[in-house]
Amino acid sequence: MTSTRSLSEPGRGKVGPRVTLRKTLTACGLLFVVLLAAVLLMSLLGSEHLPARASMCALFSFGNASCGLTAEQSAILLEIRFPRILLAAAVGASLAAAGASYQALLRNPLAEPYLLGISNGAAVGTMIALVFFGAQEWSRPLMAFAGALLATFVVYRLAQGRAGATPERLILAGVIVTTFLSSAIVFVTTLMDATRIRSFTFWLLGDLSGTTTSLLVIALVVAVVGTLVLTANARSLNLLMLGERDAFDLGVEVSRVRLIVFLAASLLVGSSVASGGSVGYVGLVVPHLVRLSLGSDNRITIPAAALSGALFVVVADTIARTVIAPRELPVGAITALIGAPLFIYLLKRG
Amino acid sequence: MSATLLLLCELALFGACSNRIAKPVSETGGELRQVTDEAGGTVTVPAKIERFISLAPNLTEIAYAVGAGDRLVGDTTYCDYPEEAKKVQKVGDTLQPSIEKILALRPQLVLISTASQLEAFTKQLNEHNIAVYVTDPHDLEGVFRSISNLGKLLNQQEQSDQLVSSLRARAAAAEGAVSNSNPVRVFYQLSEEPLYTAGRDSFVTDLIRRAGGISVTKDVPGAWPRYSEEAAVVARPYAVILPTGGSMGEANSAAARGLRRSPAVLNGRVYKINGDFLSRPGPRSVNGLEELARALYPEAFKK
Repeated sequence: MTSTRSLSEPGRGKVGPRVTLRKTLTACGLLFVVLLAAVLLMSLLGSEHLPARASMCALFSFGNASCGLTAEQSAILLEIRFPRILLAAAVGASLAAAGASYQALLRNPLAEPYLLGISNGAAVGTMIALVFFGAQEWSRPLMAFAGALLATFVVYRLAQGRAGATPERLILAGVIVTTFLSSAIVFVTTLMDATRIRSFTFWLLGDLSGTTTSLLVIALVVAVVGTLVLTANARSLNLLMLGERDAFDLGVEVSRVRLIVFLAASLLVGSSVASGGSVGYVGLVVPHLVRLSLGSDNRITIPAAALSGALFVVVADTIARTVIAPRELPVGAITALIGAPLFIYLLKRG
Repeated sequence: MSATLLLLCELALFGACSNRIAKPVSETGGELRQVTDEAGGTVTVPAKIERFISLAPNLTEIAYAVGAGDRLVGDTTYCDYPEEAKKVQKVGDTLQPSIEKILALRPQLVLISTASQLEAFTKQLNEHNIAVYVTDPHDLEGVFRSISNLGKLLNQQEQSDQLVSSLRARAAAAEGAVSNSNPVRVFYQLSEEPLYTAGRDSFVTDLIRRAGGISVTKDVPGAWPRYSEEAAVVARPYAVILPTGGSMGEANSAAARGLRRSPAVLNGRVYKINGDFLSRPGPRSVNGLEELARALYPEAFKK
């Protein structure tokens, strides 16, 4: 915790004053309240107008009271819109927490599930599950997890040069794996019939519509558990940011921590890709902004990134749902439209 | 393998592979004529077309229906009707045809349909001096126009006139049978997940109107828009049409989640209609119209 220079490296954010449990809880509590408010507010926005007071009443009664909503309105709110917002939150939290941990573990500010090809690995896994075990829904997150893990492993191996892993090497490895897996995706889609291609192209750009209850539950549980596991390893990640050798000397079981972080992050990416496709830039932009405002201590960065990521995707998906209603845009297009310029700005500024 | 060899032999015999495989239209000799296609482009073609390629299943169907199928030298893997169309040399699928294969087949004309989103391909073919004719139907009248235009283009005007008048008669009969009814509110579900429908620019919207229905998505911009599930709930259709079967297989055979509480689903008014009738603006579009009318007004067709 003494070497502030290395600590600030991912994201080049400032290292704030000593991070205490109290500071973490305050920041996360505040973010949680904002997220909750956003979830409720965004539930009122959609292609169909719903009465605000009755909608809130219905949400707070968990759908037990109609609160004056018609059957249709309550179906829109409780069966379509609210589950979709929850999925957006789960996907955003998963990708941002995974991004923050990859950045710390790989000591690279550009490490991000999408840029490293890990999202594409999960996408290939999901597609294989859809083609071969279409009926078994749970096979999708499982295969996506396997794909993400495999992609992570390959990128990590490719990045190890004789002189160890340099940030440039890691990004190059990511580019290679990304393009290779993109061709694999194109290859699989070519083998499919035209009707399925249409649904895939939308999903590949990130699409949160049409999730099922079981996929939503998986995504939510994985988001919470994965973020907690990563946060529990945050202290080790802090030390790892000094370099693996230094961390080892300071008593960190490097290979064990690395394995846990890879597993948890791949699980997060896998479950979010399986239900929402490849939503880009969340894992990059959100951790950066969090580090800029809260400092680079992972004990606060990871949970705060999860909450902010959830907020980001919930807002982005609301834009995707409403901006050309009753038609829809893929949410990945919105996160990229917001994320890419924001990231360029951060790069210039840093 | 043997097909490739044959092709090579053929090319060697005719000496066509010396410089360029496809001869530009202007060098083929004989009389030329200029026509304007449905996208407004000027197309120069020989007076008599001996070899042409179709890049869309609906155009293949039209070509056979007007009696020009014997001069069709190439089509796509989606072209599966009539049966003979399957035996024609394939140049790829509608989205990714092989330009090399097209050139090797030395067509005097390539037919393209906007229904298969292939306008971008036109430019590429034009650069190789291959005449491209684009059809662009947005309603049943446009489909009839395409049939007449292709009939003229392929020197089969008599047959295309006959075909169009018989199709018109069948369409009029179907429309007449349902003309006194109140329009049924129809949701056309192109695909279930994600939800796609037929919009303002789709000929299906016109088919539904002619079949005595009114598409709840008739004013949505575009031909095949991605549609919000929430909007589908509110649309409250009294009939849901699922194009499925045919070349679509089992895809799209259940109503989408947003429609499950609609009067259509509650009253069991969900109809599966052969997707090929409804996705290919060609002669069988009238079959689609007849089936739509029968689905929306079964009582009008009881004898």
